[in-house]
Amino acid sequence: MTTITGIRIRMARMTTIDDLHLVQWLSPAFPIGSFAYSQGLETAIVDGEVRDAASLADWVGNVLVHGSGRADAILLAAARRPDADLTRLSDLALAYATSAERATEMQEQGRAFLAQIRPITGRDLPDMPLAVAVGAATAGLSVPTEGVLALWLHGLAAQLVQAGVRFIPLGQSAGQAILSGLATDIVALAQEAAGLGPEDIGATTIGADLAAMRHETLNVRIFRS
Amino acid sequence: MLHCPDLSLPVAERSHGRASVAIDRRAGRNRLTDLAQRGSGKAFLPRVAGDVPQVVFLNTSGGLTDGDRIAYDLQVGPGASVQSTTQTAERAYAGRGAPARAEVNITVGAGATVDWLPQETILFEDAWLDRETRVTLAPDAACLMAEAVVLGRRAMGEAPRAARLTDRRMVLREGRPLWAEAIRITPDWLHRASSPALLGQARAFAVIALIAPGAETAVSRLRAVPVLAGATVAVSGWDGRCILRLAASDGWPMKIQMARMVRTLGRCVPRVWQVTGDET
Repeated sequence: MTTITGIRIRMARMTTIDDLHLVQWLSPAFPIGSFAYSQGLETAIVDGEVRDAASLADWVGNVLVHGSGRADAILLAAARRPDADLTRLSDLALAYATSAERATEMQEQGRAFLAQIRPITGRDLPDMPLAVAVGAATAGLSVPTEGVLALWLHGLAAQLVQAGVRFIPLGQSAGQAILSGLATDIVALAQEAAGLGPEDIGATTIGADLAAMRHETLNVRIFRS
Repeated sequence: MLHCPDLSLPVAERSHGRASVAIDRRAGRNRLTDLAQRGSGKAFLPRVAGDVPQVVFLNTSGGLTDGDRIAYDLQVGPGASVQSTTQTAERAYAGRGAPARAEVNITVGAGATVDWLPQETILFEDAWLDRETRVTLAPDAACLMAEAVVLGRRAMGEAPRAARLTDRRMVLREGRPLWAEAIRITPDWLHRASSPALLGQARAFAVIALIAPGAETAVSRLRAVPVLAGATVAVSGWDGRCILRLAASDGWPMKIQMARMVRTLGRCVPRVWQVTGDET
């Protein structure tokens, strides 16, 4: 064992600890209630627009790449920067909310996320919408922004795919196949969004936005958005 | 195709324009207090019934292409009310070298109200338009915005595949973003557009945003408005916002539907919209 190897091991271990924090905070088991939200997917399933594995994969992929996934990834990346104006970014996140339920979703999840993060990190972060909160919390971790975004987007994809699997319903293996198939889009978007700023936000999921708004008037609702 | 640029020209002359209008409340009336016009940017105030003036902006170049620039400014003084629109649909034509840029800046003073109801933007094949609309509200000011985008002219069998549009709009109150939307259409988006999460079978889409204290109370009235065949409408309201989105098979049912919504909100529909005849 040379000294150089020793240093390598130590560096690797430090990185691994931050990596583990990141995985923990962005895990579906982190108690922020993601499973309760479908971002309008429930409406699309009720309407029959999403009804099988292919249409679910298509819906989730488009929401990620052209909708809330991209917009939130950009806000998250901006919130990780050392000079981030978190109040401004929180205002922006709420301004870009496409419906009342979406606004509630990002605020309640942000609150729940930070309620866990504060005692873990000892940082006194004010309440923020989820994407901004995740950016601010992970700014203290030495992990690359692309990695944070990829995990975040993967979590969003898993949340929506799970909602579809439960509500269409589909088999678990169909859900896992969809999630695996989204990996290329997720990594490409994470790499792109890591270098973008709020002025690059663009979200053009007209159908998903309509569905998220019409969710408010569904007669029976399982999800909260 | 009267206004279509001749792309065979080696160097086309770029159009630049800016029109600026100020309306102020003076002696109990809304009055034009400033008007400046430059290049292809024009503004005029047609005679209207009632006291709310109508400001009609116009881009005399007839459309936006390669590197064109157009800007409209509207300043609404404290307590004033004004409705503003554009003379015709905004045509975004092919732009290959550089995006055309359009800019709309509206400032609204304390207790003032503005309706910004421009006509639809039509995206032609290879269009490349970058537009930014910014409305800055004083604490108790209100605004109603309506914006519509149509992909090509369906009657002509047009369906753009390589057009690009970034269309950002933001309403700020005392400098803080309150409502924002950023449309971003790329060739990849157009390729996927028939996905139900994007546009499905629709070719046109619009948003109507009422940003005012208590705006959410308008939601139930808008939800009760009959919806035309070929259109899908949804409404949501929260925290001083009432947002309506619609998707439609083409620009025409969409415009009639938008006019119904604008009337339901207690506004006049600008005459230049030419939707008289549907008084539902």
